[in-house]
Amino acid sequence: MSVITVKNLRKYYRVYQKEPGLIGSIKSLFHRQYQDVKAVNDISFTIKAGELVGFIGPNGAGKTTTLKVLSGLLYPTSGKASVLGYTPFDRQPEFQKQFSLVMGQKNQLWWDLPALDSFILNREIYEIPPAKFDKTLKGLVKMLDLKDVLKIQVRKLSLGQRMKCELVAALLHSPKILFLDEPTIGLDVVMQKKIRDFIKEYNQKYQATIILTSHYMGDVKELCERVIIIDRGQIFFDGQLKEIIKKYADHKVLEIIFSRQVSRQDLQKIKDIKIKEFDFPRAVLTTKRKSANQTAAKLLEKFPVADLNITETAIEDIIREVFTGRDLS
Amino acid sequence: MRKYLQIFKTHWQSSFVYRLNFIMWRVRSLLQFFAVYFLWLAIFSTQEDVFSYNRSTMFTYILGTAALRSFVLSSRSVTAGVEIANGDLNNYLIKPVSYLKNWLARDLADKLLNIFFVIFELGLFILILKPSLIPPASFSNLTVFILTAILAMLMYFFFSFLVSSFTFWYPEHNGWPLRFLIFMVLEFLAGGLFPLDIFPQAVFKIFRLLPPAYFLFYPLQIYLGRLSPTEITTTLTIMMFWLLALYQLTRFVWKKGLKIYGAYGR
Repeated sequence: MSVITVKNLRKYYRVYQKEPGLIGSIKSLFHRQYQDVKAVNDISFTIKAGELVGFIGPNGAGKTTTLKVLSGLLYPTSGKASVLGYTPFDRQPEFQKQFSLVMGQKNQLWWDLPALDSFILNREIYEIPPAKFDKTLKGLVKMLDLKDVLKIQVRKLSLGQRMKCELVAALLHSPKILFLDEPTIGLDVVMQKKIRDFIKEYNQKYQATIILTSHYMGDVKELCERVIIIDRGQIFFDGQLKEIIKKYADHKVLEIIFSRQVSRQDLQKIKDIKIKEFDFPRAVLTTKRKSANQTAAKLLEKFPVADLNITETAIEDIIREVFTGRDLS
Repeated sequence: MRKYLQIFKTHWQSSFVYRLNFIMWRVRSLLQFFAVYFLWLAIFSTQEDVFSYNRSTMFTYILGTAALRSFVLSSRSVTAGVEIANGDLNNYLIKPVSYLKNWLARDLADKLLNIFFVIFELGLFILILKPSLIPPASFSNLTVFILTAILAMLMYFFFSFLVSSFTFWYPEHNGWPLRFLIFMVLEFLAGGLFPLDIFPQAVFKIFRLLPPAYFLFYPLQIYLGRLSPTEITTTLTIMMFWLLALYQLTRFVWKKGLKIYGAYGR
């Protein structure tokens, strides 16, 4: 059963352009040149209940705009979005009680008060029965290890602690759908891991549907089976993460450490390889996926090899190269 | 209703966090009492009547507006403009909570606090300087005065919210330029600096049709008993009309604004 349906969605922003400098500013006082920015330009997808989907794409690709439309913050220029059968922009309370949006760079907690005060406010806003609230809060506090920080002014918390509290605030009403926009931004690796584990656990424990955007491939790789890649407002790829590797990476990477001097020319004589890096004693080559093993055997036979590694092209590299439109091999 | 009560409480909690800020804000209010008092004291040192006001009436009017100001003209919904411009409005739009009622609850929290302190400060002021003040003209005048103060408070609330709404279209500087201009004019038209009926009749006739005249001037006229029963009825009718108009206009503009809202801040 699909809980989120997006069909031919478009969101254009009208912005005005200003020439640089003071003269440009004065000109813009009298005459403004407007331009449409196509933040989201005709995208369609559906998401089933319980899925954990990753949105990836460069800055300005339209990921956040899509999430904002799905949350009812933005009025779509055209097309349709439906979440749990509701039109998000109508902002019906019944709908709002079933989803949550967390933005890594925005906060909803009251800055001058302890997080607990904001939680209690959310209890009233979402009309959560006190018994259920206490139970949910206890569970979340345990999962995120927050017991000691609930009564400290939010402004005094570290970024990681605050992010965890933001997550708690967003989850108190046990939303069925969760939109996470860069939930790990600015966090150290340990905290990133903790948040990731939590998201995974939450998804499995409550069968919550989650859409996550992130710049860290680590987040997406670890959490999402399905990814939607967006670029310049359009969907570029929608499918299993492993499919990206199959579809776009027809090459494997060979990393070699030589034990004695080898020249680049000698190496180039081997068929089917491309030299990506050569910095004695280390070389990185790419070769066709199918013949990777034979090529490796040939290299071992002809060269003094101390160490050899065959790896898949990193997803980060695949995606980066897909975006920049370069040849992968 | 309970959610707005909680917002009210949370706002109070958050107001008490900054003790120094709080004290300075009260000192400012007290200084305002002194400033207007000494200004009018100087004016009355050479004459007994200024326009149709004698010394006690004028002092009551001026101190009355200073006190009423902290109840009527003290909306924090200025921040709504800031929240529209920087995208913090998002936090409310995704929740089952009305943004307008949220600010009304927070404003009421502020105003209640203000009333409490103003009474205390005014008492202190009267005790120290013993100015000649007059009590309300009658008990019913006092009742109607309180009613008009509440209506004025609501009128100003929607008015201020309306001004904040224009930030949807002009997010530059969080909407401050427009707000600044409007509030300079408003202060004057509300009768906060001097009573409006000291103007020539023709000018006053225009002023009395505009909403600001009902923020401070008219409630105090009623307190002082300077209006006939017919005039009081007319005043109440005009206030109700403006209140309804401002409410409808705010809703309309807000609906339009949300459609072009960019949910900025990333």
